[in-house]
Amino acid sequence: MKMDFDKWALAAAAVVLAVLPFIASGYILYIVNLLMIYIVLALGLHIVIGETGQFALSHAAFYGIGIYVAGIINNAWHPNLVISVLVAGVVAAGLGYLLGALAIRMRDIYLALSTFAFGEAMQWVFLNWNEVTNGSNGYQMSPAWFFGFELTSDLRAYPFTVLGAALMLWVTVWLSRSQLGAAFRAVRESDVAAQAMGVNANVIKRVAFMCSAAYAGMAGGLYTTFASFIHPESLGFWTTILILIMIVVGGIGSVRGAVIGAVIFGLISELLRQMLSFQEIIYGLILIGFMMFAPRGLFSGRRRTRKAAAATGAGSSGGTQA
Amino acid sequence: MSVADIWLFLQQGVLSGLVTGSVYALLAVAVVIVFKTTDVPNFAQGEIFMVGGYVALFMILVLDWHYALVIPVTLIAVAAICALFQRVVMERVIASKGVGVQLVIATLGLAYVLKGAVRQTGLGDAPRSLPALIAPDTVIIGDAVLTRLDLMILSTALVVMLGLYVLFNHTRTGKAMRAVGMNPKASQIVGVSLVRIRMLVWALAGLISAVSAILITPKILITPDIGHIAILAFAAAIVGGITSIPGAIVGGFIIGVAENLVGLFVSTNAIVVAPFLAILIVLVVRPQGILGGKAQVKKV
Amino acid sequence: MNDQTQALLSIDGLTVRFGGLTAVDDLSFQVLPGRIHALIGPNGAGKSTIFNCISRYYDPTGGAISFAGADVTRHRAADMAALGVARTFQNLELFNDLTVEENVLLGTYSYGARGLARLLRRPVAANREFAHHLLERVGLIDFLDARAGGLDFGRQKMLELARALAIKPRLLLLDEPAAGLRNREIDKLDGILTDLASREGVTVLLVEHVMQLVMSISDRITVMSFGHKIAEGPPAEIRSDARVIEAYLGKGNLDE
Repeated sequence: MKMDFDKWALAAAAVVLAVLPFIASGYILYIVNLLMIYIVLALGLHIVIGETGQFALSHAAFYGIGIYVAGIINNAWHPNLVISVLVAGVVAAGLGYLLGALAIRMRDIYLALSTFAFGEAMQWVFLNWNEVTNGSNGYQMSPAWFFGFELTSDLRAYPFTVLGAALMLWVTVWLSRSQLGAAFRAVRESDVAAQAMGVNANVIKRVAFMCSAAYAGMAGGLYTTFASFIHPESLGFWTTILILIMIVVGGIGSVRGAVIGAVIFGLISELLRQMLSFQEIIYGLILIGFMMFAPRGLFSGRRRTRKAAAATGAGSSGGTQA
Repeated sequence: MSVADIWLFLQQGVLSGLVTGSVYALLAVAVVIVFKTTDVPNFAQGEIFMVGGYVALFMILVLDWHYALVIPVTLIAVAAICALFQRVVMERVIASKGVGVQLVIATLGLAYVLKGAVRQTGLGDAPRSLPALIAPDTVIIGDAVLTRLDLMILSTALVVMLGLYVLFNHTRTGKAMRAVGMNPKASQIVGVSLVRIRMLVWALAGLISAVSAILITPKILITPDIGHIAILAFAAAIVGGITSIPGAIVGGFIIGVAENLVGLFVSTNAIVVAPFLAILIVLVVRPQGILGGKAQVKKV
Repeated sequence: MNDQTQALLSIDGLTVRFGGLTAVDDLSFQVLPGRIHALIGPNGAGKSTIFNCISRYYDPTGGAISFAGADVTRHRAADMAALGVARTFQNLELFNDLTVEENVLLGTYSYGARGLARLLRRPVAANREFAHHLLERVGLIDFLDARAGGLDFGRQKMLELARALAIKPRLLLLDEPAAGLRNREIDKLDGILTDLASREGVTVLLVEHVMQLVMSISDRITVMSFGHKIAEGPPAEIRSDARVIEAYLGKGNLDE
């Protein structure tokens, strides 16, 4: 049954992740660190798009804000990484809330286009605000610290990225099961009906934007634990699209989907980076393939309750007639 | 800057802007007709445009064909690729119960494939340009300088727009396209084949994009990454009203002129971010664009 | 009707104009607590517009709306549930991709309460029990895990009703609850609404075209035509009111 599958999968993942640092090379640990970042990014996008149905395409912008904020703080004060990550998250969240306030008046395509435009404008800021971000030369970041322990390698950063991702996963599941999560989904399904139930749709949408930006900001903070350089080129539309693809391929609305999608496409994206020629064609074909044959993704977004389609055989998902 | 300078920049900016604007207008029309009929913002429109340029380039530089042959073959080739993609890929996505976001991702897949394919041919290794169709004589209008090529671009674009007007208002197919855009189910009931119309709309959008590519490529340098010009087309469509074809045209000219003026009066750096600011401003202030009619209010 | 009883819902001089069109013109009526009040009239009479004003999706151009003595004319739509006003929708606004149970559960959460902290709580057993009780009442207890969007139409309407009841309303606004229902289902609806009003004191205001239901359960009927009130009174009076008959049919009577 569903619940057991999750527990087995998590247990297996925990075992693998615990053992990995002892047997794997630095490169593999780097990949895993990166995948953990992707997982947090995907979970964040899941909240705003999957749960709340708001197509916010500004994700990479908040990721970038998180990276620069954490990077700047690290360079200036070398505080405990928990502080940098949290501050990165808070700053991103604040800006996310503001963007949400502007964007929620719009629907569908307009929302998508305006958040996309915001994302591009932000990338332009990263590229041109030389005093702060060093513009197109990229930004060098010094290592993060954790109580006197300096994170100078992928191995050292590893426990933090893994724990960070695990923590955000736990938060996501908890949110999903809370009344706030139900409110997100209600707004996604019908904001008109949600209002009739007392849910202030505008506030909920803004909160969703804020949460999603917080995740992206924290992912940025976590990134600085193992990366020492960032260039604005990787903070634009195509990165947002990559995360979007992760949750679509995984299954929109599904937390499992977001995680699995992040792992799959994170790996595909890294693998293709190794193959200099053909990478675009293959990537495009993979996208087309998934959309043609499994557009709804690997996991269903709808939650099934614990009840086995019991009661009377009428009931289960697809419901219907007497 | 003296008043005389300002006046000069203004004239030059506006006139040059109208020329590039006519190309953006055509691309914006391509985006709008696909969006109106299929509800999908085609994120591969820029790459389709790019392919149009490279197909023409290939025929001229490698096959050494004459323009008279190159133009029609390019148009047909691009239209065919688009029609094929819609028929084979997009229809399959729809049949597999894919909706909006999945269809958009499919167009992104197309964008990647087209870009990658062009890079593989090696033609894109260095920026290139098509040989000019007309002698590059200059024409002076007021204080501004344009070339005869510029005028040709502008006039051809206008002719295409006129052709589209005739198509949509005076032909059965054109009217069927509009009908599908308004109400797909009702169109089906009166016998319109949705699959066929969608395919034709994509082919038409491809054709228009190829035309704009052939028009502008002699004037600029083409690279496989030039597809990002699509963002200007989207900005134009939004400014004019993403559900309005005349709006797309107006929007295209506005974006073209604005781009030039920003470049002249602000900085070349600012040109890049201007379309995004335009999109944000329009969507916040008047989301339906200039010609988009009334703002949609959800009926309760 | 006892004039001393304070109206639960009071509409005073309500006027709604959209551009050049006057959808509702200077409408006034009152609904007393525990009563079932019907709003009828030919299509285009402005009935749904009135509903949307009361539930605050539209802003009236003029006039006032009071609920339980307080002026709610400028309240937000999301504030009405906390006051105890629930509604159903003419074109159904279910949470289609959620299950039947989840749809109703949502109504049992207290969103009106201030403070994000309450939102972060998980639903408790009591929520679930209450939701199940309501679903039992409307006959959907066997469909808990069914996808709301996949139910047949009659059941979807019942689901919307159960969901509305989940907020424990004092006033229930029903927008064409019987539309598209079979006779058997209409009878069932009749029973549920009568129970709600007489045994639980829930006040009901319904917009309806199905006269069989209107005549059967209403205590009072307000008749609209082209945005104006043309008659008001108990069913027996309305049934034989010449103006009403004319508004609907020109000639003839309302017997089905």
